[in-house]
Amino acid sequence: MNRQRTARTEVAEMEGGAALPRKSGEMVFHENWERQAFAIAVNLAERGVFAWSEFQQQLIESVAEAEREDALNPSRGYYESWLVALERLLEKKKLLSTAAVE
Amino acid sequence: MRQQEKQHRQEPETDLSDHHDHDAPANPYHTSDRSEDQDKALSERVARLEALLTQKGLVSRDALDKVVDLYEHDLGPMNGAKVVARAWVDPGFKERLLENATAAIAELGFGGLQGEHMVVVENTAQVHNVVVCTLCSCYPWPVLGLPPAWYKDAAYRSRIVIDPRSVLAEFGTEPGDDVEVRVWDSSAEVRYFVLPERPENTANLTESELAELVERDAMIGVARVAGP
Repeated sequence: MNRQRTARTEVAEMEGGAALPRKSGEMVFHENWERQAFAIAVNLAERGVFAWSEFQQQLIESVAEAEREDALNPSRGYYESWLVALERLLEKKKLLSTAAVE
Repeated sequence: MRQQEKQHRQEPETDLSDHHDHDAPANPYHTSDRSEDQDKALSERVARLEALLTQKGLVSRDALDKVVDLYEHDLGPMNGAKVVARAWVDPGFKERLLENATAAIAELGFGGLQGEHMVVVENTAQVHNVVVCTLCSCYPWPVLGLPPAWYKDAAYRSRIVIDPRSVLAEFGTEPGDDVEVRVWDSSAEVRYFVLPERPENTANLTESELAELVERDAMIGVARVAGP
């Protein structure tokens, strides 16, 4: 429960490029896969598979990478960067090979 | 401020799963215009990831649904609106709320912050309260959801302290000269939110009808609750 609470605080309070897309306090998902990718990462953090801070760091890098060429026109959307970050972190943790999902 | 129009694809009218598209604002994080094929590929990629993690016993459909439910439906300004409506109809609850907001809010089943306390400040005919976080963007998100972009703007964070009445006027809120304006600076330890004044002509409304009147901005204190 404590870990869940920690994760919730950390997820809700991400800043800058990692901040969750939102409208009037509600989360914004455009496609169902975005919702699913969001839930997988949060759930894994809640279960202690990784710390939220580890995922957040990966996400920040992934978002920055997408904005490197043109910050106004990132090469991929927020949840695509989210998915890339998730895959990379799981790869690092040897929990899957990215090749297996692509 | 980065702003980019998202090119909206024409969605079939019946696709309710995608209704967010219509009210979602141009969002810097959604600038990539994906084709249907790309979305299909991404969707399959996530499904494969989920299947793999399910196999390993690391996630389950049930747990994932709960996460989505919590973040998408339970963590939003609606929670705060319910707290406000309860305080308007139940004087005992209001007293507990003003005394120990964290505990009173937990009575309604909302919470989730760790050590941080929530503090409720009441608007009256004499006092108008407004909330800011001058250092960063501390926010009572278990009751208000995720903060609006302007709440994080340096302009709001500094100007609301220096000249609250001008900023309030920009939001269309103009407390009279005889009303004291108080600005509350949130921190990592204390998250403030505002109990707005109950509008007139609402004596006949039920608690849930009252909750529907309460907008996020009124609980930050930059707006009033408009009557029905």
